[in-house]
Amino acid sequence: MPDASPRSEFLDGCREMLPVLLGTIPFGFVAGVAAIAAGMTAVQGVALSMFSFSGIAQLVASQLIAIHSPVVVTVGAAFVVSLRFLMYSAAMAPHLAHLDWRWRAGLSFLMTDQSFAAAARHYGESRPHAHRHWYFLGAAITLYLSWQASVVLGVVAGAQVPEAWSLDFAVVLAFIALLVPAVRTRADLAAAIVAAAIALVAAGLPYRLALVVASLGGIGAGLAIEAGRRR
Amino acid sequence: MSVWIAIAGVSFSTFFLRASFMLFADPHRFPHWFRHALKFVPAAVLAAIVAPGLLMAGGTPDLSLANPRLVAGLIAMVATFYLRNTFAAVATGMAALWALQWAFGHFG
Repeated sequence: MPDASPRSEFLDGCREMLPVLLGTIPFGFVAGVAAIAAGMTAVQGVALSMFSFSGIAQLVASQLIAIHSPVVVTVGAAFVVSLRFLMYSAAMAPHLAHLDWRWRAGLSFLMTDQSFAAAARHYGESRPHAHRHWYFLGAAITLYLSWQASVVLGVVAGAQVPEAWSLDFAVVLAFIALLVPAVRTRADLAAAIVAAAIALVAAGLPYRLALVVASLGGIGAGLAIEAGRRR
Repeated sequence: MSVWIAIAGVSFSTFFLRASFMLFADPHRFPHWFRHALKFVPAAVLAAIVAPGLLMAGGTPDLSLANPRLVAGLIAMVATFYLRNTFAAVATGMAALWALQWAFGHFG
């Protein structure tokens, strides 16, 4: 059997994202609404989305801009919630090492939770061949274009959605869809529970610092459980 | 102006973190504990985001079953666990939340 062509890999990657879009489109819409609600102009809201392309970072930045936080705090909080990209990047690096820097820069810019998950699965399951990065690219571009369209929709139409629909809850649900498969071991579970508990207890801290403290506490709990089991 | 600086800073941060190992560094040059710690980042960060969204919608923690977001979130977790896709989480969670809000509105 000949290797899959770049074209067929690309299209497979696009297709793989279609069910995911049902979760990310409402999420993008909410991110667009949040930017406008934070007092950003439409151009600023769309620029934030086009250049940062991360729902979590966009929401955290919007919340902090809304309360006129210092720029350093806004950027610092977005940095911490984006730390998971370090792990994704480390996991993908060996698969992409043979590509030239333009490919690696482009895929870096476009990588999200969902396209990382799909690409990691594809690299794990498929027979090794030369064009698998086209699958990653197809998934990532599908998400990028649909995300920007849904953010623009949120920016334009956002204020008109009735509050009773509780559309902001779709964001929490989109994170649940990522959280559940991320908890595989007992140490993962400890990290999640400790982080959740700290996030609630520390909720009074200013500038969404609770998120930072809770994330670090959860990571510590995961490491502690893992160290305890090895002894 | 400060909004534009924040947008630039956030965009730089997300790109820098994504590109870290894919573009710049070899992960094997980093200490062992650091790579171990990275493993727990998704579970910890995502749980820290989800928990207040389920339990603090009213501004204070509400762990009771009369909290529709908590119940809807738990239903969505079960659905995600068995069905393993984003749409299952969003669809079951939103349907559950709307049904519970309607029920509490009528019988609560």
